[in-house]
Amino acid sequence: MDRNQLIKWIKAPGKMGQKYSLHVVYFCTGCGIIEIPPSITARWDAERFGVMPVATPRQANLFLITGYVSVKTLKSIIRTYEQMPEPKFTVGFGSCPINGGMYWDSYNTIKHLDKYIPVDGWIAGCMPRPEAVFVAVTHLWTLIDKDMADGYKKYRKNYKYYRANQEKLYGKMEWPPLFPIEDKKGSSP
Amino acid sequence: MKLLKKKIELAFDNVRVDVPESNRMVINAGKDTVLSILDLLKSEGYAHLALISCVDWQKDKEFELVYILSAYMQDNNIYDDKQKENIILRTRISRGNPEFITVISIFENAEPYEREIHEFFGIDFKGHPRLTPLFLEREYKIPPFRKDFDTRKYVKEVFDEIPFVENEDGKK
Repeated sequence: MDRNQLIKWIKAPGKMGQKYSLHVVYFCTGCGIIEIPPSITARWDAERFGVMPVATPRQANLFLITGYVSVKTLKSIIRTYEQMPEPKFTVGFGSCPINGGMYWDSYNTIKHLDKYIPVDGWIAGCMPRPEAVFVAVTHLWTLIDKDMADGYKKYRKNYKYYRANQEKLYGKMEWPPLFPIEDKKGSSP
Repeated sequence: MKLLKKKIELAFDNVRVDVPESNRMVINAGKDTVLSILDLLKSEGYAHLALISCVDWQKDKEFELVYILSAYMQDNNIYDDKQKENIILRTRISRGNPEFITVISIFENAEPYEREIHEFFGIDFKGHPRLTPLFLEREYKIPPFRKDFDTRKYVKEVFDEIPFVENEDGKK
């Protein structure tokens, strides 16, 4: 253990625990998932950073959106994100989730992912190298330390608006709201 | 290949057969003869329907359906020239009344291809058991692969209209 971080461990052990046990949900969208097998296996061993892929969203706390998000995929992304236990962090991977990338005038690819779910960090590039994943992970550690990776809190707080955006795209959603949505005349959520 | 060309030209009228390369044959047929040509090609050994594709010729006001056929290996692990051959069958249907007959009765694997073409071009295949949505989640007024579908306008109307979620202090 790094002795310089001993004070951090004593002050906020929960936060340090979150930092070094990031479990990525195995969810493949688009082309970026091709960078994940090399980064979790022997070539760039992601477990050095405490990053491990897990099978189900119920066990995960990091969500990598790898590549373009089509309208149909976004539905499963929202479902997966809502199933993950808190605290949860989202990282957009590649230029397509940021602003559409090369799909910026596509008929079936959404342009800004953060209109529908909160995103804590972005990795730019098309495609980013596996090293960029680790830069993002170390950056995420800093954000967790400073309490800035608060996407899940934002989702809870502004759920009414996120849900409204999702319903604008899909019409009526098939599943009930995750958090209670108050009436329009009531106070803000 | 030459024998087959003669056979098709003799059997059907209103058919133009070209052989641009030694292993490729292009048949331009009228829409009434497509089923019988496919039946003949299947009995000749070209029993694999590789793809059905569609082209939108907006100026001619026509859709072009393209059927690509090839042959299966007959004996175990022995290639002959027939396996390298591709047969391309083209036919044109009117754009104003996009209807055609399904070819599931001859090639069963045509089902997803015809569903896809129905979804992206709006062509109605008569006799198809289920023309339900295959890939797309939203409904489009104009099918998205037609040439008169303006993607940029669509994106501006749908995706750009959705606002960013902002916190109460105005930050994103």
